[in-house]
Amino acid sequence: MEAVAQKYKAKDYKSDLKPIWCPGCGDYTVLNSITRALAELALPPEEVAVVSGIGCSSRIPAYTSVYGFHGVHGRALPVATGLKLARPDLTVLVTGGDGDGFSIGGNHFLHACRRNVDLTYIVMDNQVYGMTKGQASPTTAPDWEGSKLTPEGTGINPFQPLVVGLASGANFIARVSASDPINMAQIIVEAIRHPGFSLVQVLSPCVTFRPEQAEWRDIVRTAVVDYTDDAARAARRLMTDDGFNVGKVLFKGSRPPFRPEFEHTDGSVAELEARFAL
Amino acid sequence: MSNELQGADAINTLPELLAHALAMETEATERYGELADQMETHRKAKVAAIFRRLEKEEQAHLVELTHMCSKYELPHYAPWDYKWNTGESPEAIDIGKVSYRMSVRGAVELALVHERRACDFYAGIAQRATDDEVRILASQFAAEEREHIGWLESCLADCGPDDAAIDDPDPPLSQE
Amino acid sequence: MTISSVSLVIAGSGGAGVVTAGSLLLDAAAKAGWYALMSRSSGPQIRGGEAAAMLRFATEPIMSHDDSFHLLMAIDWDNITRFSAEIPLSADSLIVGDPVHGEAPAGLLAGRPRQAALPMTDIAAKIENGRPNMVALGAIAALIGLPADAMQAVVEDNLKRKGQAAIDASMSAFHAGFAAAADLPAIPKLPAVSATSGPRWSITGNEATGLGVIRGGVRFVAAYPITPATEVLEWLAPSLAKVGGMLVQAEDELASINQIIGASYGGVPAMTATSGPGLSLMIESLGLAVAAEVPLVVVDVMRVGPSTGIATKSEQSDLNIAVYGLHGDAPHIVVAANSVPDCLFTTQWAVHLAEAMQVPAIVLTDQAMGQARAILPKPAELAFIGQRETAKQAVEGQRYKRYAITGSGVSPMAIPGAPGLTHTADGLEHNEFGTPSSQASDHQAQMDKRNRKLTQFNYGDHWADIEDSEVGAGDTAIITWGSSTGPAREALRRHAAAGGKARLISVRLIAPVQPEKMAAALAGIKRAVVVEQSHSGQFYRMLRAFYDLPAETVSLHQGGPLSFGPGQILEQLTTRSA
Repeated sequence: MEAVAQKYKAKDYKSDLKPIWCPGCGDYTVLNSITRALAELALPPEEVAVVSGIGCSSRIPAYTSVYGFHGVHGRALPVATGLKLARPDLTVLVTGGDGDGFSIGGNHFLHACRRNVDLTYIVMDNQVYGMTKGQASPTTAPDWEGSKLTPEGTGINPFQPLVVGLASGANFIARVSASDPINMAQIIVEAIRHPGFSLVQVLSPCVTFRPEQAEWRDIVRTAVVDYTDDAARAARRLMTDDGFNVGKVLFKGSRPPFRPEFEHTDGSVAELEARFAL
Repeated sequence: MSNELQGADAINTLPELLAHALAMETEATERYGELADQMETHRKAKVAAIFRRLEKEEQAHLVELTHMCSKYELPHYAPWDYKWNTGESPEAIDIGKVSYRMSVRGAVELALVHERRACDFYAGIAQRATDDEVRILASQFAAEEREHIGWLESCLADCGPDDAAIDDPDPPLSQE
Repeated sequence: MTISSVSLVIAGSGGAGVVTAGSLLLDAAAKAGWYALMSRSSGPQIRGGEAAAMLRFATEPIMSHDDSFHLLMAIDWDNITRFSAEIPLSADSLIVGDPVHGEAPAGLLAGRPRQAALPMTDIAAKIENGRPNMVALGAIAALIGLPADAMQAVVEDNLKRKGQAAIDASMSAFHAGFAAAADLPAIPKLPAVSATSGPRWSITGNEATGLGVIRGGVRFVAAYPITPATEVLEWLAPSLAKVGGMLVQAEDELASINQIIGASYGGVPAMTATSGPGLSLMIESLGLAVAAEVPLVVVDVMRVGPSTGIATKSEQSDLNIAVYGLHGDAPHIVVAANSVPDCLFTTQWAVHLAEAMQVPAIVLTDQAMGQARAILPKPAELAFIGQRETAKQAVEGQRYKRYAITGSGVSPMAIPGAPGLTHTADGLEHNEFGTPSSQASDHQAQMDKRNRKLTQFNYGDHWADIEDSEVGAGDTAIITWGSSTGPAREALRRHAAAGGKARLISVRLIAPVQPEKMAAALAGIKRAVVVEQSHSGQFYRMLRAFYDLPAETVSLHQGGPLSFGPGQILEQLTTRSA
């Protein structure tokens, strides 16, 4: 261990605002893991931005002491994309839930993976819409009968975020469990450090509308193999995966991040105008 | 010492012990505070009071400890490099184990589990340390944790039967 | 006095080279020292569709097409009747067709135009690599008085890379057409201009829009392709790169608007351009920009709606969605350009307004001005630069209030990177700190401040263009906006030439409304004609809702793609004004 004074503590990244999540919610743990990761990276709070859409987990920005943007439902990724492209000096995280990211924001998810802007996307997947009292989300099992909207279950197969993310070009893919906050912090550090679009799926139980998810902590297991940089192998693993292999990075790609050139040339508005002159 | 605390073997110097203690007491203080806040936010005053009291206790430790640490240059550990094998530090209550319907008894029992783990952690270091200073200080820390345990045990004796299963007459509300 | 001008249409089906011919003619007119306006109309096909280039030339600046065309040069007649409503022809007009394609369709003859034949195909066939469209250009040049050497220079510029043989073939066809025109009936000729009145530009409305936002300081654009706004983006992409900015092609309009919100939150002035369908998709996030107080500019190059409507043609029918589309009480800016050069002024002004008030600004232009190319006097330099009031330093012991209640309503904005000023910008209603709040008092205070920003701002005289006829305002006004301003301006001029008095009020600042300024502009006015290109009279209804109009006010409105000509507006003036 090197003897260095830690520049920032996890607490330095928390705001004074008290979360309104239900006691026991996995999102508390995610907030703690994010703040631990930022402290470990010793990033000055003003050089970090957390962007979110709408949903329980999208409340995270206001609970941090970094720059935050809490937008509309499903559009966190484009806001973060614009911010990061305009301000490449910032570290930009995106937080949200499965409904925000994979349903209403599904198209942005595909294209954010494709575009590969240097963002870290942390999705708290609880397979339910909590803010609106517990409806089926895109990741809900087809036979879940817990919602009045779909009393017989949705009857449709759940969305596979990591498979879709991989196929769409995400450059870093990992799954973690809210029951292991320290592992989550470690993976988030890796995700932030990895260039390009990093996708971290967090199994984050909803204690109110999916109380049975309390069992997740006993079901999850640490993935047995380390990450691959071969997308085909990663795809095979993900396609045969039951969704409960957690704790390790599954895929790390080496595609360079998207970054159109911001040339800095001065005083050429006159040149642009000259082209119109007769 | 339980299996999950075996990592304590690796702590042999005073700065290492202090770094671990500082991290653990910081986390415990913050966690009890967080849980008290959660319970207050959800109007669970009695459960909140338990956590708030524990936060204050830990805070007092933390102040003393911070003062002690100022005399040393402490090593930096990443969160995953601490020598405990409990994930988060032994004393920090697992957030996923609390709930809106938690009873006072449930809160006390949960806190007891973690205070005992903290005590075991320090006791384990004291037992195995070769350095006298480390052994003495770890024993002192373990004794402090035992005070918390004693207080929690007395609370438990005063607690009524577990009422955690009572239904909530107000269903969850729709927000955004 | 009336404008001395000549108007013509070149029409033909795909492969006839109509659009190329129109562009060459415009460039040659520029070399001859003339002013010009060219718009185009086309069928829905990507390739091979019927197309028409509509041109008007004059020896002084023009803003509008005329009531009818002096000449229709038809390279063929395929599907030409689809345009007949857009090509008004009178008894003074001349239709020139190629006999190999038969007679002119009856649908073109309602106005009893004169007819003549020009065997373009046969003439071209006698020249190696000769093309009928160049024969047509030669004839047009001879008819309107365009010097052949002007065309020579343009053809040399355009065909340089194809070699001398191609240039010679084109010019041979041109000269053959020029000579053949001796047998054609006459139409008005314009005099050659030896020395022009000042520097001129050749620019489209969509290019002017792009230049306006760059001049205003925009350096980030995200957009999704859509007709007829795509040319704004095509011009901006390479141009932004030259001035240290960037354009990102987004996956959809929802992404476009949110990317520019992100960039602007990051401190970089940002805009997007779209048309009605895209604007519809952006509406929810425009509300976010209002609530989170993120400045940005959205240009809507309007086309015929609703739904996909007529994507290639113009209409002024997005006024309602631009003004009222947002849910909740969401004060924002809506401005409208009223001519090709005004696209530059209005977008540059819009960036200035958006940045100064930390508010989204919608700029309405339309297909007619966006895709029109004009040769016009060089636009003036403008002082408007987007300047955002930013918070630079944390105040010791005070938590930063992103949404501080201030007298002006504008709260200094901290840009990410500034230490001690971190906050969360939020679309949820919030208190001064940005913390979500569902309290009535916070909602009231924030709504008040967001509204105050707009109502207390000094818009100066730019809210409208107010022009009186040379002999005075009289007691009659034309109230209009956007593209309808061009023909209204010309109507006012013709009215004045006949000694008529009237006032033109072309409203640039659509929202927030300016009742006091409008009242001053309407002082002494007893009659008003409201002119717009909207089936339901959206502008008229908005005026009625917010302004005290003269008791005798008539609404002249029709849906696109047809627009009112100067003559139709003049008729209202002459029958109504004293």
